[in-house]
Amino acid sequence: MTRYLIERIGQAVIVLWAAFTVTFILLHVLPGDAILIKFQNPDLGLGPQQIAEIRASYGVDRPLWLQYGHAIGSFLSGDFGYSIQAGVPVSESIRANLPPTLWLTGLGSLLAAVIAMIIAFAASLSPFAWLRALVRSAPALFVSIPTFWLGIALIQIFSFRLRLLPVIGAEGWRGLILPVTTLAIPISAPLAQILVRAIDDVATRPFVAVARAKGATHAWVLWRHVFRNALPPALTVAGVLFGELLGGALITETVFGLNGIGRLTQDAVNNQDAAVLQAVAVLSAVGFVVVNLGVDLLHPLLDPRLARKERVLS
Amino acid sequence: MPPRNHFRPVRTSMALFGALAILTGASMARVEAGTPVPGGTLIYLEQQAHTNLYPPAGGFYPNGGVLNQITDKLTYQNPKTLKIEPWIAESWTVNPNKTEYTFKIRKGVTFSDGTPLDAPAVAKNFDTYGLGNKDLHLPVSEVINNYDHSEVVDPTTVKFYFKKPSPGFLQGTSVIGSGLVSPATLSRKFDELGDATAIIGSGPFVVTKAVLGKEITFAARKDYAWGPANLDHQGPALLDGIKLIITPEDGVRIGALLAGQADVIRQVQAYDEKQVEDQKYLVFAPSTRGVNNSVVFRPDNPLVGDLRVRQALLHATNAPEIVQTLYSPNYPQATSIIAATAAGYVNQAAKLTFDLDQAKALLDAAGWQPGADGLRWKDGKALILTAYESQPQPQNKAMLQLIAQQWSKVGVKLNVLAGDSGSRAADDLDPLKTPVSPAMVGRADPDVIKSQYYPANRDILRQKGGQSQKVQTFVDDKLNRLLEGIASETDEAKRLAIAGEVQAYVIDQAYAIPIFEEPQAFAAAPYVKGLAFEAVGRPSFYGVWLARH
Repeated sequence: MTRYLIERIGQAVIVLWAAFTVTFILLHVLPGDAILIKFQNPDLGLGPQQIAEIRASYGVDRPLWLQYGHAIGSFLSGDFGYSIQAGVPVSESIRANLPPTLWLTGLGSLLAAVIAMIIAFAASLSPFAWLRALVRSAPALFVSIPTFWLGIALIQIFSFRLRLLPVIGAEGWRGLILPVTTLAIPISAPLAQILVRAIDDVATRPFVAVARAKGATHAWVLWRHVFRNALPPALTVAGVLFGELLGGALITETVFGLNGIGRLTQDAVNNQDAAVLQAVAVLSAVGFVVVNLGVDLLHPLLDPRLARKERVLS
Repeated sequence: MPPRNHFRPVRTSMALFGALAILTGASMARVEAGTPVPGGTLIYLEQQAHTNLYPPAGGFYPNGGVLNQITDKLTYQNPKTLKIEPWIAESWTVNPNKTEYTFKIRKGVTFSDGTPLDAPAVAKNFDTYGLGNKDLHLPVSEVINNYDHSEVVDPTTVKFYFKKPSPGFLQGTSVIGSGLVSPATLSRKFDELGDATAIIGSGPFVVTKAVLGKEITFAARKDYAWGPANLDHQGPALLDGIKLIITPEDGVRIGALLAGQADVIRQVQAYDEKQVEDQKYLVFAPSTRGVNNSVVFRPDNPLVGDLRVRQALLHATNAPEIVQTLYSPNYPQATSIIAATAAGYVNQAAKLTFDLDQAKALLDAAGWQPGADGLRWKDGKALILTAYESQPQPQNKAMLQLIAQQWSKVGVKLNVLAGDSGSRAADDLDPLKTPVSPAMVGRADPDVIKSQYYPANRDILRQKGGQSQKVQTFVDDKLNRLLEGIASETDEAKRLAIAGEVQAYVIDQAYAIPIFEEPQAFAAAPYVKGLAFEAVGRPSFYGVWLARH
């Protein structure tokens, strides 16, 4: 297990370095750069000579390898630089924007899991065939709802018409209900779909018939035997859904006027704000690595056969 | 209460509003009485987060909305008369040559960090804005031309010297980019000035808390006693504070205003105005009083190098149709390159006619013949032009697309690109890639024309020796001489005459096709009183009070 962990951490370091380097190269291949976008902007109304002086003072026209060395050096020493566009240290930007995004995505994925589980159980336990069919079609509907439309519809209904929840200046949990729901519904769809199919699949296995024959109720068998065996595929998908979660967070943040990593990234991409993008790329890579490592470590706990296999192999 | 009738509350029937006030009875009674009620926090929804708050970067409207509440200026430009009035400077003298300006500073003014706003502080502000600071990456202010140095005569007298006549400087001291900040703020690096709490001004409000990309909380300064001398309202602001909240979605901003979750919002699209007014809310559309929203050419590109081609496109553009289709009466059709309310305006409408026959004749004369595909061809080349949309301008993409449709009637194709900021910024420097560009600037002084067209400033036409290395040959010496005249003519009447000449010349050369006079559109709840705007449309909440809170 320890060796396995060390290997995974080694892989993670390579992934992070690659994320940093690829971002750096991509940013330099793109036309224009952050300084050009910021200072060529008509809002500042600077003349050509002034812009040339600013470019020189930021050293943006130095050789690429020199800039790369400088970037990675300061990054490793914990200096993430400044956002050229926003005029604040990148570390401060991340500190302000990461917690709201963690809350939003954390609660969003939790709610998505709950919705997916409700759908999965309802799809098997509902009393009538037509109701089960209806529940089974829910994921297809959910996945095709555009996030921004859902957000605006929820705001219009619950905030502007019924006036149940404020959107502007909402604090704490009251401000999170609508955005979390907006984010969770489209994410829950693929989870529910996988779960429903896995449950159908497991339900036909012989051990289920045996349990039923021994007199267990349908619901008990579903919970105790079927669900547990149906969980691993859903968990794998959950790891992959992380990317979708970040994309959904961007739209949710924009619609609800929340600050967060999604909007920070969008602004940074728009303005080729290199320092911010380097940090966000590495941060997202960390997120991916952690989520997938978590999923891999959870698998043996859910399915003892995987743990045994590992022991045999090592 | 500051003067309020310099904006145009459009299509707002005051009779209806009055009837509503009577119908709704008691809660509105205080409104009718008209006595300001102090207190309360105003919720202001802004479309975009502010960026760097270094005052000379205040031109960006989201920045100006913040800076206008927290900084004072040396002088106040009356938005009604455009005259320069006292503010932090009690009085001033200018030498006939307009190379020396002496300001007498009001006593007892302090920045919110407690340091005095005296002559040395003012000197430091303008030394920085006039010369920049390379070590701190602080750029030069666009509005200050030919600055040389300052001299502190005594604690309340400061004198500025210029290398060449600088007639626009007095007005330049009143603009958003000349907001006075504490010496502590000016000793910070440019890269740190996006932190709103770092901007220490002497204004009626102070930033108490800023959450990056989300909101800014302002509190009124109780000891504020130095508003512009000619305003009705004096003393501290009437509000307790302001909460500025970033709300990017147009629909959410309007919905929140109408649902009572916000009091004032910025950026109301023309197509949303009716919805706001139908509910008896108010639309404010103060003019930006500068260079009109226009389409300009880069004559270095051979496709538009021929005057006849540019004139043809000018006459093929149907500005009334654009204004009627996309905008509202708040967006008056342009009649010159600058707004009718701008200083030095001269009407050029007679030259800006929509005339397809004339356009076709001009293209024929220039040798562009209609091809089988409907496009005009010459020497094996089709007349295909490209422009990037400008996101900050209202419905700019739709506008360019409509122009493309209009130009297609004379066989000219205009490609409208969205593009990422990087490509846009890079391509914008290359006349071959962007022969056509949308343009506008707000500033209520003839200097704005020079800012827009002069090669050493914004260089909107892209001349050789200007912003771009990619320009091959295009220079217009006559235009540049006229522009230099605007920036240096010391006789005001002569200066305005030159501004008139430039307007006629730019249209005669068909360098620009003016479309409409751009407003800044705001909406406010009916109980918001005393909302005022500086000369080019940035909100001031100093005299605002809430008739209901």
